[in-house]
Amino acid sequence: MERDNHQVGETEGVKICDPPCESNPPADTLATSLSLLGNHMFPYPLERKHRSAVEEEPADSLSDVTAEEESLDGEPHSHQVTTLETEETESSECQNNVSTQQLDIENEDTATDNERSDSGEFVVTMLAKAKLEEQGLGVKGGSSPLLEAETQEPPAFMSHRDEDVTADSWRQHRKHVFVLSEAGKPIYSRYGSEEALSSTMGVMMALVSFVQSGDNIIRSIYSDGHTVVFLQKGPLVLVCVSSSRQTEQQLRGELLYVYYQIISMLTQASISRIFEHKKNYDLRRLLAGSEKILDGLLNLVDSDPCFLLAAVQCLPLASSLRDNISQILQKAITPNLVFSILIANNQLLTIVQEKTVIEDSRLEPADIHLLLNLIGASSAFQAGEIWTPICLPLFNPDCYFYAYISYLDPPECTVCLLLLSTDKEAFYAVAECKRKIEEAMMAQNSLSLIAKVQSYSVSQVGVSDLRHFMYKPFDVPDTYQQLTQFTSPEMEAPYSSEEEKMRLLDLYRYMHSRIHSTSRPLKLIYHVAENETLLAWVTSKFELYTCFSPLVTKACAITAITKLLRWIKKEEDRLFIRYPPKYSTTPNPSKSSRGGKSDQQDSTDNGFLSLL
Amino acid sequence: MSERNTLLLEKQAKNGTSKYMLERCASVNDYYDIAFKVMLLGDSSVGKTCVLVRFKDGAFLGGNFIATVGIDFRNKVVDVDNLKVKLQIWDTAGQERFRSVTHAYYRDAQALLLLYDITSKMSFDNIRAWLTEIHEYAQKDVVIMLLGNKADVAAERVVKTEDGERLAKEYGVPFMETSAKTGVNVELAFLAIAKELKHRATQQQNEPKFQIHDYIEAQKHKSSCCGHM
Repeated sequence: MERDNHQVGETEGVKICDPPCESNPPADTLATSLSLLGNHMFPYPLERKHRSAVEEEPADSLSDVTAEEESLDGEPHSHQVTTLETEETESSECQNNVSTQQLDIENEDTATDNERSDSGEFVVTMLAKAKLEEQGLGVKGGSSPLLEAETQEPPAFMSHRDEDVTADSWRQHRKHVFVLSEAGKPIYSRYGSEEALSSTMGVMMALVSFVQSGDNIIRSIYSDGHTVVFLQKGPLVLVCVSSSRQTEQQLRGELLYVYYQIISMLTQASISRIFEHKKNYDLRRLLAGSEKILDGLLNLVDSDPCFLLAAVQCLPLASSLRDNISQILQKAITPNLVFSILIANNQLLTIVQEKTVIEDSRLEPADIHLLLNLIGASSAFQAGEIWTPICLPLFNPDCYFYAYISYLDPPECTVCLLLLSTDKEAFYAVAECKRKIEEAMMAQNSLSLIAKVQSYSVSQVGVSDLRHFMYKPFDVPDTYQQLTQFTSPEMEAPYSSEEEKMRLLDLYRYMHSRIHSTSRPLKLIYHVAENETLLAWVTSKFELYTCFSPLVTKACAITAITKLLRWIKKEEDRLFIRYPPKYSTTPNPSKSSRGGKSDQQDSTDNGFLSLL
Repeated sequence: MSERNTLLLEKQAKNGTSKYMLERCASVNDYYDIAFKVMLLGDSSVGKTCVLVRFKDGAFLGGNFIATVGIDFRNKVVDVDNLKVKLQIWDTAGQERFRSVTHAYYRDAQALLLLYDITSKMSFDNIRAWLTEIHEYAQKDVVIMLLGNKADVAAERVVKTEDGERLAKEYGVPFMETSAKTGVNVELAFLAIAKELKHRATQQQNEPKFQIHDYIEAQKHKSSCCGHM
């Protein structure tokens, strides 16, 4: 496989590993990562070139830190830097020498026969062509990975459906996401129409199946400036082409969210059944009209750190007010109601759960994110009452809940009530719950109290050099199986513009990738960037990301963090939902544990089969 | 509130109806005498939500297409012969994946507005399938009306007015072409439905039957000669 090594155009690296073993996937990933250390593929290959310094703080310099000391400084860069410098200077030449591009397969199963290599070369040539089509010449190999972010951000919520996929502007999007079926049929593209991209998606599928034919799974491709990540989930293939410098792990996490969003609309069971029945089914037929939901999700993923942290941020609220509102929700119940959720300004205000449903599992943050995204993408312009089937993929990927969505404060539409039932026919009963909630909230004047609530400012912490932070606690009481949450102040100056916000988020993503690196996880990282200094710290009790002004000293930062932790402790009743309240809507608990049996039936009787 | 209730009772006594009456009003500013459920049906993107928003708020939702999620329940109170008629309108998603939830609420509907897009042959061809579905799931005596929407886009028309009329005649349902953009016939469609339902609900034995077809024809002519619709 490794013929003609280190040719001019060694810009392509394909990372392949054995299919993940079901019983022990972490070990497999670790092995993969370790095997890759010998290669020249690093998540941040250009790190050395920007003027920031990375330094791991010895753990014992913080008085109460339990972090392990990281004695090594930085990563072995020398090899990758030279490689990449060659790439930069030669990159234009590469465009003309497509056939010389190398497929660099890290294959533990060393048996390679000639036949496969030949067809491999063919696929590589195809891929290289496709990649040139996709990425064009607009590759910016030399700039800092962390500064590159701001330049290519498209204006949010613009319609990208009609974009010309041959135009430079299309190629320069920071992050492309494609979804296709195993038969190579386009299902979704973030930018441009799926039809126009069918040949590109065909090449993607060719790659996936070629590697599959060798009993392997393609995971990612690294080229100068771009990372291509593949995710196979059942009959769906998801591909991300990113120039955002995020790690493969982070990008795969985002693809997983896209998959979950599709599952939330169709359920996993239906998708499997459809493709079992008809391999070349055009899934767009069932997803028609949901492009906005997927677009919205991808915009959120780029702009909201909740996806990165896999946690939910709730609206800061005096605990007495939150308790009052929770009690109102607790009282307005009807049989088969399982979740009552109140959302204000797209943030969770309170969530009340049915006792038996939640007994053996808790609601995953990802499910909440999908619900919040659905609400954001639904028609918020009117005072309607929406009733729609929705699946919570992490709760149960094969069943539907029925969601009642209604705004309580038309025409402003900031406070949204979401009631989830397991009964398809329960609309009128659930709508009656809303009337009760509305009346009670009117009586207690809750809406006007909610309207006054805002996100908090970092200045309230009272630490002068602290610009922003994200804090995710792990120390929740065991007896209250609780939603994973995080808290974070508003992004204020100098992070008020969209570009600067994105830049800070990219810095956080970088810190997050170092902390959660599969090969060399860190407990503590102190990072002096160009315009700010960041400190990330993970303990058994919390995960914390802080951003300071650039001139802060290490000692100052540590004192500031101590103060910040003290402040959070003092405010935690306001910043977090501490004890999610519950109600009981099923007198007979066996009747509707985990979504209920009626749903199981429903997923087999939702009409999809009849459409084939 | 009590005054309103007395009024309601008086009217109830006068009209001799109780079947469709609701015992109490939803709220003070949302007062009504009688309520009906109406459902908007048709393929995806024929303009169901736009027709509803035009009727409810007198506005046109231009620009980006936002697909309805599931079914969307909204109210509008209209005056029919001095009676407050509340139309509870189900705006449905046209997409196939929401069919099962739409079916569950068909039988509640007393009237169905079935829409196609005059610029989409496909949406017109699917009307027969929709009517089959209606006969399967809806009440037997449901009021059906066929609407050819987007009548303002004359340049892209592919379904002739006569084709719509012929189909409507075949199934014995009233028909008109509407435009959510300009508002043509939108109000009329809902008002005709409201009148028909009100007459059905309050009709006395000896009273003549309300002729929805004649009413629509008369109103159509009236509005076209005045030219304000």
